[in-house]
Amino acid sequence: MIATLRYEFRMQIRKRSVWIVPALTLVLFVLIGGSLLRDLFDPAERPPEAKTAVVGLAVQVHALLSIGFGCLLADRLVRDDRLRVAPILDATPASRAARLVGKYLGAGTATAVPIAAAYFGFAIAYAINSGSFPAVLWALATFGVVFVPGLLFVAAFALTLPLVMPAPLFRVLFVGYWLWGNVVPPDLMPTLSRTLFNPLGGYPLAGLLGFHGIDGAEVWAGPIPGAALNVLRPEPTPLLAWLSIALLLALAAAALAGGHWVRFSERTRS
Amino acid sequence: MLGPPLAVALGVAAAVASPVAGDATTARILLGALEMAVPLTAGVACASLIGRDPAVEIQLAVPTPYRETLLRRTVVTLGWAALVAAVTAGALIATGWWARWPDNHGPLTGQLTWVAPTLALGGLGLAAAALTRSPAAAGALVTTVWAVQQFFAGAAQQHLPGRLLYLFATTRGADPEAWTANRLTLLATAAALLTLAVVVLGRSERLIRSEDE
Repeated sequence: MIATLRYEFRMQIRKRSVWIVPALTLVLFVLIGGSLLRDLFDPAERPPEAKTAVVGLAVQVHALLSIGFGCLLADRLVRDDRLRVAPILDATPASRAARLVGKYLGAGTATAVPIAAAYFGFAIAYAINSGSFPAVLWALATFGVVFVPGLLFVAAFALTLPLVMPAPLFRVLFVGYWLWGNVVPPDLMPTLSRTLFNPLGGYPLAGLLGFHGIDGAEVWAGPIPGAALNVLRPEPTPLLAWLSIALLLALAAAALAGGHWVRFSERTRS
Repeated sequence: MLGPPLAVALGVAAAVASPVAGDATTARILLGALEMAVPLTAGVACASLIGRDPAVEIQLAVPTPYRETLLRRTVVTLGWAALVAAVTAGALIATGWWARWPDNHGPLTGQLTWVAPTLALGGLGLAAAALTRSPAAAGALVTTVWAVQQFFAGAAQQHLPGRLLYLFATTRGADPEAWTANRLTLLATAAALLTLAVVVLGRSERLIRSEDE
């Protein structure tokens, strides 16, 4: 598994597109959404607390760069079959499950490196600009409880769902899901946003980091009066935040197990 | 092939599931399926046309230029999306749902609701695929451009260039007066991107190099 992980990591981190896509996303983001820079570097507009600034930054970076992250990973597993190297790899002593986990962690980590670089780059620049060095510690904590579970969740489905549908269709459905499951207000239509299954990290944001938007008035988790699926939106607490993280990781594990089963049954048939 | 019909089906399902009362909201979601979902599927499909042929060398050796083959694929991809969108628009006009969205711009000119963003994202997908030779990178760029305009609908339309290039001016437009200029700008952008793709694909031997694996 470690050998696969190292090889997949090295292979993915050298792909130009893994760096080009996040870079262009950030350029577009800064051109259109300029609020990112104002919230960090404009003394008149940025929030008084360093924690609020770097957690707010995490929400914006996570919401946008995760889309490219999922799309870039979508061809990693099916690629072995497309290049017809899967049977050769099957003949090696490494087990299929170990290779799948190695590919998942290796390719996933490499694709997450530009995201981490962008996030910590902005956070460190903010810390220097504002003189608030605890901001870097808050950024580390946010990365651990918001980015890591969310990206592990996305990576598991991005690797395995293209086994049962074409990768382009997965990319379309994924971005639709990302918008629907994270951003669409629950009172507009039934959605998974603000539930325990929110990969943008609504519960860790509210329950562990006490984040309620840059202006302190936004709700990222919990019930909305009259909305469907409110049973999945209990009032956020630290315990429920850890439960939300555990649910995301459990779903990621289930997706990997499902993908392993699909590949195993295909190979047994052929 | 599955993308455009699935996009329309999901839009209709979202309209049916919406608990917000009012015909205008339902009509907005239905037109949104044409303006948002169909162009997204067309854009990602165009982004996936290059870099997947197992033996490009054979394609380059046949009498039909590979660029022409890729452009034919683009026409089929965009044509299929257009057919699905046109039939859906016809059904919405016939059932009266088209007219229930106040900013529908009429049954004829209003077809630019889906024509302009479909061509713009299709052109972006093909140009990105021609430049990167990677369906993953090109698909990621199309989905990201689409998502940025969804997440930052307000901020994206604060300035004139953003308003002119906004993909969803019919259902989320900030300035209904600028709709025609917006649609024409998107069509011009699509023409520029498709031209760029045609020029880049002119050196089709460049595609022999393996895609960005």
